Amino acid sequence: MRTIHIFILFIVVAIAQIFVPINMILGKEDILAKGQLYKFKTRPIDPADPFRGRYIALDFEVGLYETKDSTWQRGEDLYIYLETDSLGYAKVSKISRVLLPNEKKNFVNAKARWYNKQSKELNIQYPFNRYYIEETKAYDAEVAVRNAHQDSLIDTHALVYVKAGEAVLDDVIVNNISIKDYVKKIGVK
Amino acid sequence: MNSKIQNDIKELVEQQVISKESASKMEAYYQSKKVDVPNRMFTVFGVLGGLLIGLGIILILAHNWDDFSKSIKTSLAFLPLVLGQVFVGISIFKNKNNVWKESTGTLLFFVVGSCISLISQIYNIPGNFSDFILTWILLCFPLIYFLRSHSLAILHIIFMTFYAADFGYSYLSNGKTPWYYLLLLGLVFPHYWQLLKYKSAANITSIFNWLFPLSLNIVLGTFVHKTSELGVLMYVVLYGIFYSIGKMPLFSNLKLRGNAYLVLGSLGTIYMLLLTSFDLMWEAIKKTELVYSSQEFYITLFLLLIAIGILIYGIAKQWISKIDLTHYTFLIFTIVFFAGFNNKYIPLIIINLLILAIGILTIKKGADTFHFGISNYGLLIIAVLIVCRFFDTEMSFVIRGVLFLGFGLGFFLTNYFMLKRQKEGKMNLKK
Repeated sequence: MRTIHIFILFIVVAIAQIFVPINMILGKEDILAKGQLYKFKTRPIDPADPFRGRYIALDFEVGLYETKDSTWQRGEDLYIYLETDSLGYAKVSKISRVLLPNEKKNFVNAKARWYNKQSKELNIQYPFNRYYIEETKAYDAEVAVRNAHQDSLIDTHALVYVKAGEAVLDDVIVNNISIKDYVKKIGVK
Repeated sequence: MNSKIQNDIKELVEQQVISKESASKMEAYYQSKKVDVPNRMFTVFGVLGGLLIGLGIILILAHNWDDFSKSIKTSLAFLPLVLGQVFVGISIFKNKNNVWKESTGTLLFFVVGSCISLISQIYNIPGNFSDFILTWILLCFPLIYFLRSHSLAILHIIFMTFYAADFGYSYLSNGKTPWYYLLLLGLVFPHYWQLLKYKSAANITSIFNWLFPLSLNIVLGTFVHKTSELGVLMYVVLYGIFYSIGKMPLFSNLKLRGNAYLVLGSLGTIYMLLLTSFDLMWEAIKKTELVYSSQEFYITLFLLLIAIGILIYGIAKQWISKIDLTHYTFLIFTIVFFAGFNNKYIPLIIINLLILAIGILTIKKGADTFHFGISNYGLLIIAVLIVCRFFDTEMSFVIRGVLFLGFGLGFFLTNYFMLKRQKEGKMNLKK
């Protein structure tokens, strides 16, 4: 194969290499612009990812769903239909293994973690359980949120945009401000 | 040129073993061989440079610069990618040397990963690690062929193994099989095949000879879901295939360190046999109901057909020795495996005898060829077998002690007699 042919093929691959991340951005921007906003009550901890840096792993209060169906398999795909409670927080309306064509409520794709036969609860893994944060702030954020959580008067929740199964975690809010600003304000050490 | 070689040539000329003409020819040969060396070193340093810069960019971006706006972060994610592409574009368009191609290719590989990572970070996309790696490798694999790059092919194999292991072994992967692994394997195979065809004795080919079977060895377990006992059979057959491949003329002429198929095939077979020489495994098999329509069964059958095919071809072409028991172990094991579903004692006896026979035949082979490594390997097989039996038999300490003493003595005596025979052989040759 001649150099020019290889070069042309390389240009195609280079365009694909640029197109994939741009497509990711466009998809997420579309959810942020047109998706419905939900507030998920949360409990965070602080791990790290080798490629993407430090993040706060979020555990949600709606992560447990009471159901009598005990046949859930680990890793099974779920459709979580959402609604909001009287205080404006997200609440699970129903869960399903298949897409419900007549259901009007907004839904998010998630995975089953495990089923607890004693408490009859299904543990759910949501696709927005990571909030990336600057590495120097990650530990402080974790401590701040843990302290905030112990104080039942401080409200911590995640702002999540949801559109047709896909979701984007926009921010984590502690006491009405973004966690990034909260860490600066409190100055936890 | 190596000064030792120079001295040797000088001595050979002085002792009139070779003529002056041959000496100058030899010197010219070694000089021409040396021209390649600095180039190879630059390639290694170039690849290391590309690798370190790529990883450095990933780490700097992983800091998560909160003070930057979303648009600045996004531009920062694309900047290294575009730069990497420009460098690779220049390498291809100007047909630069290998050093350029290998290092710019490595750099581009990592900046593609860093770009996707940073976008995931900006939009808090959670950690589906296997999907991320799959996208990453698929976006980079054509570069292996555009640049004819070994380092990219090595990265491809390492990352596809990561992908399959994460996809198949992670907590939420219950019941999932990384079928894309087979595609990724197929994508890199032509590069490996070219190396085997044209550079089979080169060091770089040895690296691939190790990476391919190691990757298969790690990933095969992800194809097993329900009947884990069939997984044992699958591995025995896989090692049988490795061992036969290792005996192919293409590989058998290589040094042992370059022939991973033979090393892994032999060690793997012995390991699996030792593992199944305990009754735990056969008790589990007795309790298992074998499902013939399962994924594991079809994969085992497929591997078995390949193994038998290679075995028959090897015997027909005479590169498989009819008395090398390791070649037939997978067949014997398969028969015993299916027979063992009713009774645990028959398979236990056969497996133990099989290990013993392989050990003895290996010692014999070592003694016949005066190869100390092989004969000691045979002794080691038998010694480990005996140690294993100590775990599940209630033998008195005295008997165990005597057996160990006997084996220690066996090691000494075998080596002593072999050394003696070798010395005698040399003396006879001198006479």
